[in-house]
Amino acid sequence: MDRGWYWRLGLVIGVTLLTVWFLIPSYYSMFVLDKSERNNLALLEERLPKWAPPAKYRINLGLDLQGGIHMVMRVDTNTALQKRTERRGDQIARYINDKQLGQVSVDTDPQALQLTLTAQDPATMDAIEKEVLATFTDFVRVGRDGAKLTLAPDEGQVNRFREESVDQAMLVIRRRIDKWGVAEVDVRKLGTDAIQISLPGRNDPEQAKELVGTTAQLEFRMVDDTTDFFGQVIQQNPPPEGSNITLTNTEGFPQLQGPDREALLAYFKDKTPENREVLLECVPSATKKGVCDSYRTFLVEKEVPLTGESLTGADASLSQLNEPEVNVSFDAAGAREFEQLTEKGTGRRMAIVLDDYVQSAPRINERIGGGRARITMGRAGGRPLQEWLSDAQTLALALKAGALPAPVTTGEIRQVGASLGDELIRKGSLAAALGVLCVIAFMAFYYKGAGIIADVALLLNGLLILGGLALFNATLTLPGLAGFVLTLGVAVDANVLINERIREELGHGKTARAAVDQGYDRAFWTIFDAHVTALIAGFILFFTGTGPIRGFATTLIIGLLASLFTSILVTRVMMTYFVHGRNAQTVSV
Amino acid sequence: MQILKNKTNIDFIGKRKPAIFISTVINLIILVGIAVWGFNLGVDFAGGTVVEVKFDHSINAADVRKRAESGGLHDVSVQSIGSADENSFLLRLGGVTQLTEESSAKAREAIQALGPVKNVVTDLANGIINFRSEQPMSAEQVRKAVEGSGTGVEEVRELGQAQAGGFDYQVVASGMADRIRSALMSGVEQQDKPDFEMRRTEYVGPQVGKQLRNRAVMALLYAMVAILIYVAFRFDFKFGPGALLAMLHDVVMVAGFYLFSRAEFSLTAIAALLTIVGYSVNDTIVIYDRIREDMGKFKGKPLAEVINIAINDTLVRTILTSGTTALSLVGLLIFGVGEIRDFAWAMLVGILVGTYSSVYIASPLTIWLDERAAAREARQKGGGMQPTTPG
Repeated sequence: MDRGWYWRLGLVIGVTLLTVWFLIPSYYSMFVLDKSERNNLALLEERLPKWAPPAKYRINLGLDLQGGIHMVMRVDTNTALQKRTERRGDQIARYINDKQLGQVSVDTDPQALQLTLTAQDPATMDAIEKEVLATFTDFVRVGRDGAKLTLAPDEGQVNRFREESVDQAMLVIRRRIDKWGVAEVDVRKLGTDAIQISLPGRNDPEQAKELVGTTAQLEFRMVDDTTDFFGQVIQQNPPPEGSNITLTNTEGFPQLQGPDREALLAYFKDKTPENREVLLECVPSATKKGVCDSYRTFLVEKEVPLTGESLTGADASLSQLNEPEVNVSFDAAGAREFEQLTEKGTGRRMAIVLDDYVQSAPRINERIGGGRARITMGRAGGRPLQEWLSDAQTLALALKAGALPAPVTTGEIRQVGASLGDELIRKGSLAAALGVLCVIAFMAFYYKGAGIIADVALLLNGLLILGGLALFNATLTLPGLAGFVLTLGVAVDANVLINERIREELGHGKTARAAVDQGYDRAFWTIFDAHVTALIAGFILFFTGTGPIRGFATTLIIGLLASLFTSILVTRVMMTYFVHGRNAQTVSV
Repeated sequence: MQILKNKTNIDFIGKRKPAIFISTVINLIILVGIAVWGFNLGVDFAGGTVVEVKFDHSINAADVRKRAESGGLHDVSVQSIGSADENSFLLRLGGVTQLTEESSAKAREAIQALGPVKNVVTDLANGIINFRSEQPMSAEQVRKAVEGSGTGVEEVRELGQAQAGGFDYQVVASGMADRIRSALMSGVEQQDKPDFEMRRTEYVGPQVGKQLRNRAVMALLYAMVAILIYVAFRFDFKFGPGALLAMLHDVVMVAGFYLFSRAEFSLTAIAALLTIVGYSVNDTIVIYDRIREDMGKFKGKPLAEVINIAINDTLVRTILTSGTTALSLVGLLIFGVGEIRDFAWAMLVGILVGTYSSVYIASPLTIWLDERAAAREARQKGGGMQPTTPG
C-alpha cells in the first residue's frame, strides 16, 4: 500500500461522511417531521441536532411528488400600456389647454399605442409640437401631417414600463399569498412578462387563480388618531400569552405590533368601534425579500373616500432638501375629492391602503389642490438615504400597482393532489429500488468479487446523488427519479468497462496486479469521455429547460459527477486493497 | 461467468450497406409520419387542459364520457389510467378557458343587451373579453350577463373611465377545470358531495406551449452541436460526423416510438430524447475509443478491419452495458405511471437503437469519410489523372 492509496482512502471516507452529514436535514424533513410540516423550515431548524447542517440544505420534493400548485401568470402589459397611453393623452390635452397653446383634440390608437393630436388652428401646431415634446419626454414624434401630430411612447419608456408592470404584479401576488398564509411559497419572474408561483400543499387551482389573478385595490382612508384606542385595548384585554403582541410607539403614535397576522386580527375582533377598522402594516424582513417580519396596527375609518381609480401616476424622487418623496397625481374628479379631503383632514394622517395593507400613513400638512400631492418620507432614525429612497420607490410602485394595474392572466396551472403525490413517491421509490436491486444482483452474479465492489460503489453513488441534491437544495421531481435510476445504469457501465478490461488483460496472461492497474488506466479516458459527453447534454438541459426538465437535468449532472468519482476512485481503492494489499494472485472478476 | 465464451469475429462492417439502407428507410418513414400525422402532443405543447379524476366507485371510461357529455362537454377525451380497479381517468380538453368562438359570440350579445356598448374585443387565447360601455355598470351585472350566456366568469375587472369617453371593463372567463368539474357533477345527487376527486389539473396556455416547444427544440440542437465540438476536439474530425449521424438516427428512432405508440409527447418526452442523445454518444464514444486504440495497435491494417476488431472486442461490454441500463429501467416499466412509463419505454427503445447505431451507423460513416479522404489524397498525388479546371 503506497501513500497515495491512503490519501485516496481518506478522500473516499471523507466524502462519504460528508454526504451522510448533508443528508441529515433531508432525513428529518422526510421522516421525523409530520407530513404537514414537511415544508416548515423554521420547525425543521428547531428539531435538527446542533451539529447538523442548516435546514436549508435539504432535498425539496417537487410539486408533482408532494402535491401542490404550480402556476405561471402572464402580465398583460399591453392593456396596461394602452391605459397609460390614454391617460397620458388626457394629460397632454390638459397641458395644452392650461398653457393656452391652442385647441386640440386627442385621439388614441390603442393597438398601435399612438396618440394623434389635431389642432383646430394649424398655425398653432408648431408651437404645440415643440412644447409637448419638450415637456412629455416619454413620447417621441412619429409623424406630422399639417395640423395632425402623431406621438408614440419612447421605446425605452415602454420597456421600463413593462418591466415595472411585472414588478408591480409580483409585489401584489406576494402580498396576497402571504395573506393566504402558505409556507414556502416561491414567486419568481419567468422570462420578460410572466411570473412563476409554486404553492406546495395547496390543491384548489381555481381558488389560487382567483387569489393571485384579481387586480390590486388601492384606497385612501383617514386614520383615527383621536383616541388612544390601542393603549386602552391592551390595558383592558391583555393579549393572549405567546402571541407576542406588544404596544409600540412609532413617531408619537401608539400601535400594537405582533409577528402573527392572524393572531393580531383575531385579537381585535369585537373590540373595534363602529365605523372603524383595524388594518395592518407589514414590517418587511431585512433579509428575505417580500416577507413580513411582523405587523403594525392602524385604526382607520371604514369609509373609503378615494380609490386608486382616480390616481394617474406616482413617482419617487429626491426633493430639494435631499429628502426622498413620492409624487402622486390624480385625475380631475380625484383632484377635487383629494382637495376636500385634505382640507377637512389637515393635521390628520391619511392611510394609503393596498389590498388591505397600509403602505404608508403620511400626515396631511395643508390643503392640497390641483391634483398633485407630495408625500415626503422624512429622514428620521438616521437610516441611510438609500434605504429611504428605496422605501419611497416601493411606495410609488405600490401606488401604481393599485392605480395602473396590469391585468394578469393565467398562462399555466399544474396541480397535483396530495394523495396522488404520495402515491407517486411510493411508486417512484419502488421503481427506483427495483431497478437498482436488479442491477446489483446481476453485477454480483456476473463479476463476483469485482461485481460486489461495483455494487458498493453503486450504493455509494446513490447516496452521493441524494447528498448532492441536498447540498444544492435541489428539487426532486418524478422525472428526476427517472434520471436517478438512469444515472445508476450509466454508472454501472463504467464498472463494466473496467472489469471487462481487467478480464482482457488477465486473458493476455498478465498478473492480477498488472491486470487491475492496466484495466483502470486504459478504461479511464473512455469513462471520462463518455461522462463528459453525457454531462454536456445534462448542462444544456439544465440551462434551457424549465420545471421538471430542470429537475431531471440536476439529478443527471449530480449523478454523472458522482459516477465519475465512484467508478474511478472508489472502486479502485477497494480493488487495490484486495489485490495489492492482500498480495493476491488472482482477481475475482 | 461469461456471456461469450470465445472471442467473436462477426463481420459487422460487411453488413453495413443493408443496415444503413434499412435504417434510412425507417428514419424516412418516421420523418414523413411526423410531418403527416404529427405527435400526440400533450398539453405542454398543444396547450389545453388535462384533469386526472379518481372516482370512489367502480366506473368505466365510457360511463365517464357519458357523464361529461350529459354535462355539456362534447369534445373531451377520456382515458383510463392505472389498473382497472383504480378508477382513475385522464380527461383532456383542447381549450384552456371557457371562451370559444361560439361562447364569446353569445357573451358579446349578452353584454350588448346590458346597454350601449362599443368596442367589444375578445381575446380567445387568454379568455378575456374587453369592452367599453357608454355608461358605468356594476361588475356583478356584467358577471351575471356573461354567466347567463353559458360562460363561466372568473373575474370582472373595472378598468375605469376611458379618456375617449366610456368605461372600460374586462371579463376573464374561468378555466376548463371548472367546466369539467361541473360537467361531471351533473347527475350527482348530492351536489356538495362529489363521487370523485380531481387529483391533478394541468392547464397550459397556447403561448406557453409554443415557447416550450421552441425552447425544447433549441435545447436538442445545442446539445448536438456541443457534443459534436467535443468529439471533434477529443478525437479526429472524421469521427465527428459519424457520432452526430448516429445521434440523429437515435433521436429520430425514439421520436418514432412516440409517433407510433401515440404516447403523449410532452416535456418528459423531450427529456427522453435528450437523454438518448447523451446515451447514444456515450456508447459511440466507447467504441470510437477502442477503434483509436486499435488503430495504433494494428498499423497497416485497413480501417474497416480494425473497426471490426474493435467492435468485436467491445461486444461483451456493449451487450452488458445495454443490458444493465435496461435492467435499471425494469422498475419504471412495472411501477411507472403515465408519462414515466412512456419515458421508460422510450429509453428502452433508445438503448437498443443507440447500441445498434454505434455499430452500424457511426463506425461505417467513419470508414466512408476515411475512404473519401484517401481517394482525394490519391487524386492529388496522381496529379494528371483528373483534368484540372483552368482558373
